[in-house]
Amino acid sequence: MGKIKILLLVLMVVISFSACEKDDICVDGDTPLMIIRFYDNDNPSELKAVPNLRIIGLGQSSTVNTIADRTSLDSVALPLRINEVNTSFIFISDSADEDDLETGNIDTLRFDYSTQEIFISRACGYIANYDDLSETITSDSENWIQNIEIVSPLIKLQDSAHVKIYH
Amino acid sequence: MLRYIISCSLLFSILTSSAQADSLDISPRDSTSFGERYGLRIGVDLSKPIRALLDSDYSGLEFVADYRITNKIYIAAEFGNEEKTSFEALENINDLNRVEIYNYTTSGSYIKLGIDYNTYENWYGMTNSIIFGARYAGSTFSQTLNNYTIYDSNRYWNPNNFAPGSDAPQEFTGLNATWLEFLLGIKVELFANIYLGASVRLAYLFTNTEADTFPNLWIPGFNKVNDNSKFGVGYNYSISYFIPLYRKKAKAKKNENPVEE
Repeated sequence: MGKIKILLLVLMVVISFSACEKDDICVDGDTPLMIIRFYDNDNPSELKAVPNLRIIGLGQSSTVNTIADRTSLDSVALPLRINEVNTSFIFISDSADEDDLETGNIDTLRFDYSTQEIFISRACGYIANYDDLSETITSDSENWIQNIEIVSPLIKLQDSAHVKIYH
Repeated sequence: MLRYIISCSLLFSILTSSAQADSLDISPRDSTSFGERYGLRIGVDLSKPIRALLDSDYSGLEFVADYRITNKIYIAAEFGNEEKTSFEALENINDLNRVEIYNYTTSGSYIKLGIDYNTYENWYGMTNSIIFGARYAGSTFSQTLNNYTIYDSNRYWNPNNFAPGSDAPQEFTGLNATWLEFLLGIKVELFANIYLGASVRLAYLFTNTEADTFPNLWIPGFNKVNDNSKFGVGYNYSISYFIPLYRKKAKAKKNENPVEE
């Protein structure tokens, strides 16, 4: 029986180690952000930064967490609402406060899209991609946004702009 | 840990009871007929019902059988049915506040067919085994995605939680998989014709038919499917009954132990 006992010990060691697993940490993907780049309306191939840009999601009390508030930027990445078919943002150019009142130029943009749920990996589960992106601007007396172009209606990758805004 | 405790207790029961079998088996069992006993051994996996008792998210049953065809070779088979509900949670969060990102139930049946090769040289009248075996196995099953959330590292719109996906369970049916399995095991005769067996198995996934939107993360009989590898691991502890059918003399060995000068 000596041989059997040795084998049993080997089996036990194998079984106790087989219970250990590598930690599952999500590194395989993420729900993408919408990339917007700002261009000069007079010279459409040139990037043009928006001075003191402030962006607030409509319905939120805080500014978006992906950009530094009231800085001069020519490129922003914005999170969309996964459970909804549209997301609106308030874009404020030359943002500043005077007696708690905003003095900058406020434009509101609504983005409509469809959401696709995609299973990425065991550790991440599902993420969302967006498709059929379109935009609507709320017109007012003086929109600082002159023109908007959807470059890529599919939001899957974050390596290039999905939306170009001319101002 | 649970697996370790079960291993220990079963190990001790095997060791103590096999010692008894040794001392009882002094005289040959049958003085009129010589030769090895051949027959059919059928049994059940003990680990699956025990696991089902201890884990409410699991239920399973497996039958095992083997039929001796030569001195060392057995045709062997397992078939069973398993159902398991699993979840995936974010790391670094304790059990109380765990954030489940999805939860699914796999349910289905499997069959494994192959051979066992006994490498153990028994004394006369004993039929213990140390087994190397191979199986070709297949499973048909379904997976139900019970609930899920959409992973999004940006917390602007959903500060406390991930956005929930659809609440309605989605069932993916008609899934199947086949795999090759290699096993290392033992079978010890506890009492006359009653055998206790244990095996560990390494499986290699051969074919895997998945739903378009949800992969097969767990397969009955195969267990967990890894993202980056086709290998799976399994085990069983079986208790079986041997139905003796006939006896056959072992072939005389030629020069097995040549005398050294």
